Amino acid sequence: MTSTSSKPGGPAVHIENLDKYYGTFHALRKVSLSVERSERIVVCGPSGSGKSTMIRCINRLEQHNGGKITVLGTELNDDVANIDGIRREVGMVFQHFNLFPHMTVLENLTIAPVIVRKVARAEAEATARRYLEKVRIPEQAMKFPGQLSGGQQQRVAIARALCMQPQIMLFDEPTSALDPEMISEVLDVMVTLASEGMTMICVTHEMGFARRVADRVIFMDGGEIVEEAPPEEFFTASRNERTRQFLSQVLGH
Amino acid sequence: MVSLLRNQKVRNALLQVLYVGSLAALVLAGIVIARRNLADQGITSGFDFLYKSTGWDVNFSLLPATANDPYWWFFLIGIINTLFLGTIGLMLATLVGTIVGLARTSSNELAQLLGRTYVDIFRNIPLILQVFFWYALITHLPTPRAAHEAFGMLLTSRGLYIPFPNVGGVALALAILAVIAAIALPVWLGRTSRLSQPFGERSAIQLIGAAAALACAVLILIIGRLPDEPFIDFPALQGLNLRGGLRIPPEFSALAIAIAIYGGSYIAEIVRGGFKAVGKGQMEAALSLGLSPWRVFTLVRLPLALRAMLPILANQYVWLMKATTMGIAVGFTDFFMIVALTINHSGQTLEAIGILMAGFLAINLSLAAIFNRINKAIALKGNQLRG
Ligand SMILES: Nc1ncnc2c1ncn2[C@@H]1O[C@H](COP(=O)(O)OP(=O)(O)OP(=O)(O)O)[C@@H](O)[C@H]1O
Ligand SMILES: [Mg+2]
Repeated sequence: MTSTSSKPGGPAVHIENLDKYYGTFHALRKVSLSVERSERIVVCGPSGSGKSTMIRCINRLEQHNGGKITVLGTELNDDVANIDGIRREVGMVFQHFNLFPHMTVLENLTIAPVIVRKVARAEAEATARRYLEKVRIPEQAMKFPGQLSGGQQQRVAIARALCMQPQIMLFDEPTSALDPEMISEVLDVMVTLASEGMTMICVTHEMGFARRVADRVIFMDGGEIVEEAPPEEFFTASRNERTRQFLSQVLGH
Repeated sequence: MVSLLRNQKVRNALLQVLYVGSLAALVLAGIVIARRNLADQGITSGFDFLYKSTGWDVNFSLLPATANDPYWWFFLIGIINTLFLGTIGLMLATLVGTIVGLARTSSNELAQLLGRTYVDIFRNIPLILQVFFWYALITHLPTPRAAHEAFGMLLTSRGLYIPFPNVGGVALALAILAVIAAIALPVWLGRTSRLSQPFGERSAIQLIGAAAALACAVLILIIGRLPDEPFIDFPALQGLNLRGGLRIPPEFSALAIAIAIYGGSYIAEIVRGGFKAVGKGQMEAALSLGLSPWRVFTLVRLPLALRAMLPILANQYVWLMKATTMGIAVGFTDFFMIVALTINHSGQTLEAIGILMAGFLAINLSLAAIFNRINKAIALKGNQLRG
């Protein structure tokens, strides 16, 4: 059931000629990318190619040095109101979960809705429990993050982001810190989310996931987008030498 | 027999017994020798002297004291003085340390530089020199007649005179308890309401609790005021001297300032370490949820940093508590100085030193116990992943 709630107002994320430097190191070189609403993008590429840097620019965890980023029609610039507005609408899931270890799962899930969205506590908790149900750990609400397995923690992190009712979700290698047997429980949640029409940008090396849900696969190398194609084409018919080399590594030939 | 000696557990037990045994023998021999020597000099050992009056006076006491009071009373006064100086010194040191530590972690380069300079200077000057420095500075302030005045306070070479309410001792003690409650209540309220109250309302409840306790303190003072006297007693010049108000003697000020500044330089490093120990990931997650930088600081960064610094801070507090023994250098009658005076006047060296050690042991063990409890109460549950 793909609900295409495409309101007028153009793409979800529009990136144009993005440049990012760390000191003198040129981490992103004129990157351009447009993501439509409800589109699912998978970003892959070798380590150090700038995948994290690119998606972290989208919610301003990194500040870009050149080019233009527009999220849901709002340009990301030094205007604090713009940044706040965009962060409210963009959820992020990190490789190392980054849950708040001094708060219960329920507090992790309700803190931002209550403070940022000014949702009433009871309502925020009801929403939180609904999302815990959805990521299949409703019984863990009163535990602390340190008492959960890695897979459970990552599902809490996804639920935490969803509780803000974001329109866009960013994932930065959500399964690469997990033991193999826990990867699928997190991917299952992400597949469900995709099937419900969430706009998703996922940095991941889970090629099975990419085949199943991605509308487009983006391949980055050396701070550039080298190739972008629908998964079928990307996996079978790529003519780019660097892409083929990377694929042979992650697919393990 | 030989095979038994090869057994690891047996060996360890045997070593323990040997160790404890020789230690006990050493202590016992010491006591026997000391007793014989003391008896030769005509000094009777034992704790009977505690009930004799001292015949000398203390220059600072929160309790009534005269030269007719017995030694045990003076020991009590000494312990209370030490605790008082220690508490004030530790609070000031924590304040200084927090400010300097935050400056060192800030992104402002000037603040960083100032913070680093502060730590480098004051950590590397011995505490005793700093005590002497402040004492010399304070005792070279103008005489009472030329006192510096600000907000009704008078700063002179004879001490700092501050306006003080004219109230009875009981009311004063109750008011102090109420002020302590004003500090403790928000912490307690925060803990008990954490699962039932929204974050915003939680701080409102804490604020109301603190305000109520403070109002209580003021009320107690007003009810307990001495009749026929102005409510606030302002210090004023009378003849050559100052009358009224509360005098904070130079000895106390010098020690409190020195402990605050010296201790602050160590605590600054602990504060800095605590903030550095907080993973960047948690703060980024909080930002990505749309929380403002201030909320990220108060809800995520500070609570996690506090947990990281508290164990080390406890050690530092215990250590600074012992630094109050510098009182003897400027003549502040802290516990250590009372013990030293006792030894001089009564000759009961061993007993007095025994009391000194027991007293400090009790103070520092209680301090450690309190911090252990706090640590346990706020410890992060489960296994922590360092990200
Ligand atoms: N804070 C930083 N300071 C300096 N250099 C950085 C910083 N963050 C990233 N870089 C550099 O920028 C480049 C891109 O980093 P990025 O983290 O985006 O790579 P990535 O594609 O996500 O790699 P990985 O798969 O290992 O996560 C790397 O060469 C990295 O060393
Ligand atoms: Mg990365």
